[in-house]
Amino acid sequence: MKNTLLFLAFLICTHLGYAQILPGTITVSQGTVFLQQDTATAISEAGLDDTESNMKIETPVDATLMDFILDETNFLLTSEVNCTANIFLYKVYIHTTGAPQNTVLEARTFENSGQRFPLSILYDSAPVLGARDLLPANGANYIPIPNNNSGEATKIFEFKGCREQIPIQFRALPSVFATVGTQGFQIHYTVTATLI
Amino acid sequence: MKKIKQLHFGLIMLMTFSMASQETLAGDPNAFLLGGDQGQNTGALTLIPIAIVDVEPDPNNTITFGGIGTDLEAGMPILSGALNGVNEELWLNFTHRAFNGEHRRIYVRSNLPIPNGMTMTLQVINSVTVQGNHSALHHATPIELTNVNQPVVHHHNESGYTGNGVGHGYHLRYTIENPNALTLPNGFEIIYTME
Repeated sequence: MKNTLLFLAFLICTHLGYAQILPGTITVSQGTVFLQQDTATAISEAGLDDTESNMKIETPVDATLMDFILDETNFLLTSEVNCTANIFLYKVYIHTTGAPQNTVLEARTFENSGQRFPLSILYDSAPVLGARDLLPANGANYIPIPNNNSGEATKIFEFKGCREQIPIQFRALPSVFATVGTQGFQIHYTVTATLI
Repeated sequence: MKKIKQLHFGLIMLMTFSMASQETLAGDPNAFLLGGDQGQNTGALTLIPIAIVDVEPDPNNTITFGGIGTDLEAGMPILSGALNGVNEELWLNFTHRAFNGEHRRIYVRSNLPIPNGMTMTLQVINSVTVQGNHSALHHATPIELTNVNQPVVHHHNESGYTGNGVGHGYHLRYTIENPNALTLPNGFEIIYTME
């Protein structure tokens, strides 16, 4: 009977601790992502399309900063406690809506960019589910972002455990057929959580 | 004991089902469930108008007419072959992003007057789009060059590009008639502008 109770306790703890994905919240900061062309980033060789310009229209590396932190369960199980006790795999997908026509928008981040939350926990000394690291897709090179209303999105990076201050950089490759002036659009970030 | 084993089996099945159903969500980012989230911010792209032309091969696009023939003989008249000439080595390229859908033209002129008695004409003899995308039409008949702008290419679409280099864009033919053996002034240039 004692053994059965211990087994049940183990199953319950395991289920609560690892088998159930806890809710988390994404925070996107830094405001509007500005992609501004000037004479240095426009094509300078007559005959070529503007997409072939040597100098690309790029944002700073940290045009967007993204956090993903597990929610607080109660006053005891704070976000920090939950992020310490629960290590999941998160994949971050991006798509746009209302993006300018005849322009390719791209995004990227970098190897292990951002920082772990909490910064250091006991788990890090023996990461049985893998280190709490960030892995950019496509080797940290730019990835085209789809523009649609269906929600189809492209994975830009993935990481294990809670993470914050993840920088995301954007680039635009406009054709000469893109419209002159300023056009606004929406950038959507979708985080999916999976068990490791 | 048998009931306990059944309980173990039931719990394991429940956990397996729970884990499997969550794993299938990862491939559908628009349908995230518990554990994921969505956020958004705004972007703004600002583009400038572009209007650039060049004459290829660039930078080696200087052409020479005339010169001293190898068969000249003192006391004999200068042969006309050394004084008239045709050159078809140059190509005109452009790239244009229109502002507010405006149409532009490419004009040609000389920076200095052509000497009286000398005639220089320009003709676009071919239009080739290689790795380009445009539908601009050219002025097909020969143009007698002066130091006043004359249209060479008319834009019918607002934006476009010809492709870059020799063999792309507009094939140019320059013809010079110089019966009086005059010399072009120092610094003479033929200038193309998109306006």
